[in-house]
Amino acid sequence: MRYIKLILLALIFFPFSLQADTAEGVGLKIAKASYENGRGFTDMVSDQLMILIDPKGKEVIREVSSKTLENLNPDDGDKSITFFKTPKDVEGTVMLSHTHISDDDDQWLYLPALGRVKRISSSNKSGAFMGSEVAFEDFSGTDYRKYDWKYLGEKIENDETFFILESFPNYKNSGYSKRISLTDSLDRTRKVDFYDRKGELLKILYLEDYELYKDKIWMANTMRVENVQNKNMTIFKWLNRELDTGIDKKDFEKSSLMRLAD
Amino acid sequence: MNLEDRIENFGKILINHRIKVIFSTLIIIFTITFGMKFLETPSGYRGFVEDDFKYYQDVLDLEEKYGNIDVLTYVVKPDTGSIFQREVLNLIHELTEISWQTPYSSRVSSITNHQYTTVEGDDISISDFVEDIGMMSQAEIENLYSLAVTEDAVVNFAMSESGKVGLININLEMPDDINFKEPIDFAWKQKEHFEKKYNNVYVGVAGSAQFSQNFQSTSESDATKMYPSFLLLTIILTYILLRSVVASIISLTVILLSILPSLGAAGWLGFEVQPPLITAPIIILTISLTHAIHMLSIALTNMTEGMTKNEAIIESLKINFSPIFLTSFTTAVGIAGINFGDIPAYSEMANTVVIGAAIGFILSVTLLPSMFSLLPIKARKRKSYVINVLQKLGEVIYKFKERFIIIISIICITVFSLIPNLTFDDFFGTYFDRVPAWLEVKNVVDPEFGSSFYIFSDVQSNETDGITSPEYLKKLDEFESWLISQDEVSDVSTISDVVKTLHKNMNGGLDEYYKIPDDKALIAQYLLLYEFSVPYGMDLKNQMTADKSDSRMLIRSNNNTSMQAVAFKQRVDEWLNKNIAPYSTEGVAGIPIMMPHLFVENTRGLVIGLLITFSFIILVVGSALRSFRYGLISIVPNIIPFVLGFGILTLVTSMVTAAHQFAVLISIGLVVDATIHFLSKYKKALSINLSPQEAIQYCFRYVGYPIVVASVCLFSGFLFLTQSMFYYNFIVGGMCALIILIALLIDLLLLPPLLLIFGKKA
Repeated sequence: MRYIKLILLALIFFPFSLQADTAEGVGLKIAKASYENGRGFTDMVSDQLMILIDPKGKEVIREVSSKTLENLNPDDGDKSITFFKTPKDVEGTVMLSHTHISDDDDQWLYLPALGRVKRISSSNKSGAFMGSEVAFEDFSGTDYRKYDWKYLGEKIENDETFFILESFPNYKNSGYSKRISLTDSLDRTRKVDFYDRKGELLKILYLEDYELYKDKIWMANTMRVENVQNKNMTIFKWLNRELDTGIDKKDFEKSSLMRLAD
Repeated sequence: MNLEDRIENFGKILINHRIKVIFSTLIIIFTITFGMKFLETPSGYRGFVEDDFKYYQDVLDLEEKYGNIDVLTYVVKPDTGSIFQREVLNLIHELTEISWQTPYSSRVSSITNHQYTTVEGDDISISDFVEDIGMMSQAEIENLYSLAVTEDAVVNFAMSESGKVGLININLEMPDDINFKEPIDFAWKQKEHFEKKYNNVYVGVAGSAQFSQNFQSTSESDATKMYPSFLLLTIILTYILLRSVVASIISLTVILLSILPSLGAAGWLGFEVQPPLITAPIIILTISLTHAIHMLSIALTNMTEGMTKNEAIIESLKINFSPIFLTSFTTAVGIAGINFGDIPAYSEMANTVVIGAAIGFILSVTLLPSMFSLLPIKARKRKSYVINVLQKLGEVIYKFKERFIIIISIICITVFSLIPNLTFDDFFGTYFDRVPAWLEVKNVVDPEFGSSFYIFSDVQSNETDGITSPEYLKKLDEFESWLISQDEVSDVSTISDVVKTLHKNMNGGLDEYYKIPDDKALIAQYLLLYEFSVPYGMDLKNQMTADKSDSRMLIRSNNNTSMQAVAFKQRVDEWLNKNIAPYSTEGVAGIPIMMPHLFVENTRGLVIGLLITFSFIILVVGSALRSFRYGLISIVPNIIPFVLGFGILTLVTSMVTAAHQFAVLISIGLVVDATIHFLSKYKKALSINLSPQEAIQYCFRYVGYPIVVASVCLFSGFLFLTQSMFYYNFIVGGMCALIILIALLIDLLLLPPLLLIFGKKA
């Protein structure tokens, strides 16, 4: 009789053990769902505030606005234009980026004081930019295909259930050894822990103020990054975000940079 | 009841209750000893200064803005040729990659991951300076040097100008409780691994992190290497002097039980095990040893003259109680004078010795008599050549007293004339010159780079985004050129160098554009571009504040002496006062500024401390002898050892370092001991109506031997300290040994003639 019970138990748990074997598969599935959740916006315009806060609480605010064009080709990245507004000295500077999934991104910068467009190619942009705690790869690396995923289980926090995902960058020169993220039941990423190259927790990203656009796309309007090593904090805020505004695709070409700057 | 009767009663009580005395002493001793587990591991050079020391505060202010100043550096040098060889570059590349795994590392920079910009018209590409070494041809590798040597950010930072030595610099972001053990252990594993893998290349570990860790590692190696052999030496010395196994055991017990609770007390007081503290047990040991030898040798002599064991020890207690108390007291006062200095590690060492001296005294007059009474001891008649020699010496001195004075005076005056060659100065860079690995890496780094140490200067523009203004950058440039022209500086890098490089790269890479542009907006846009394309761990956060109002200059220091560095800081401040406006700065800060100022302030404190303790000791000696005349006479043999000691020092060096000053305060209280013994016996002899000549003979017979024995113990103890890996312990040991030796000679050769001529006529 005891043996029958054991066999029954084993049969009940068998499917679960199968699932455990494919933690990578489950992880990838959730990551993909989460990524696709934010797709389909066609294009997007917004103003952004970047607030840098040092350990003493001293704040510096930088303002930019940006336009993003969704790339309908699933094998290539989006295109974006960033207009710098403050500090005053960089007003009028425009940056155009064409992100790519597997190749290095293309980047052009128009410097009004120089009156020229410069093409910058750099294979390694894992550094924090503009004195913030955010690296370029944190933005350009949102595509789930840039990581190897692993599902670590579930977690309940404040009555909400989260999926815990571990991801390892599969591109060269990353500043991170891994990330651990929490995704909620609506497939929205809510929190990401970044581990530095030696495997120590470096910073924590919180995605907050999620807003539902076009009744189907969830986008976070606040990103808060806390560096646990140097105790600095950076807050990104998206203001006046609009989707599907019908921007001219030609704006996203190098030849349009100087025209856009004026 | 007079003092002698009291001591006798006290002795009888000890003997009647000897078991209780022994047990209660042991309980108290072990309770205090328990504190040893609270001894703190040393916090490196930071533990060498007071937390509120101004020049350390300057460093902390800098760190609050720009992150920790400490750097761990690998030094890579091929046995032959430059670092531009396939093997060497492979090594540097691999070591650079693995260095990201260093605990607490925040940045890693080397020649291989240097961000190299190539310009083709308006296309700018940024990549690692050395990539895919396997794919490069021999000619390409050799050509790298000519490219590298023109890169500002490489020369004197990632490689020496000659290209012979490469550095891998790892910035460490340490937690509040700074201890470099983990990163240094990691680095040493890499060093061993890579030296084995590439056996024609030297890999050394340097930087302020290694410097700091040296404090801990020399303490550990000193303790493990010196203590066992010194204990063995003590056992041998004790047996030779006492010729009795049981007496030796008593003496060793008293010594060990003086040392353990003093270290325990140091633990209870929260002291750090910095290298100076390592000397405390050895100093306590020698002091307690002299007490024990005095007590035991007189008791044993008494027994050979027919006294019972208990009578013999009570008699010895009567004779020795006051001198042992007095000598312990003067020793403690002298060493306590170190507290007038500014180096906590030395104050902690001094206070530990003071506690040890106190415990040593108490045990010598309580535990020692009780044990002597309890244990079976047989005294053997000793033939003493030393006593015969001393008696002969006494006769010779009486005969030629004037000549002794004249000859010694001539020697003193000659040697004294050398003293003006000495200056107060030191070299914090030599602290660990006795550590072979450190000396080795220093000998590679210093000739090529000046030194391993950096100075920093935080220059404030006083407005948000002010550092992008051309005026500000030109001012930095001006400051930089002035600094470079100073002998104390080997290299300077500033944010203006970054801007100049950017300006050049934005203008087709033409050298004529290597200058600061006149347009503030352009500079701001350059920096924006730069900040968008930097790799992990190479941002400008350790060079400028987030609001771009202030920037930090990096100045590589040469190996300067303290006085040079202090004068340099003064010149910098003068230049800044005159030229830095409208901007502001707190001047320069860093280890090469902090340590020299510590030396100067410490010296100032010690000189005052020395004057106070010396006068106090003279007063104590005078009042103990109850005689102004003898008090005055005692000054001569107590000053001359120092005059001669420092005169002889001029033959070796011209620098009176902090260690030499500490040596004076440590030995002053010990030097007077012999004088006290000699003078008190001389007075006693006169009081029993002996003639001056007979009194001198009496002194040589009764205190000559103990004085010689005590001096030999102290001399061997201090000489032993010269085994230490810490340079200052070596100096303290050598200097104290020299002074003790001279003091012995002066006490035997000069003091008697002085007494004969200037003492009271019978």
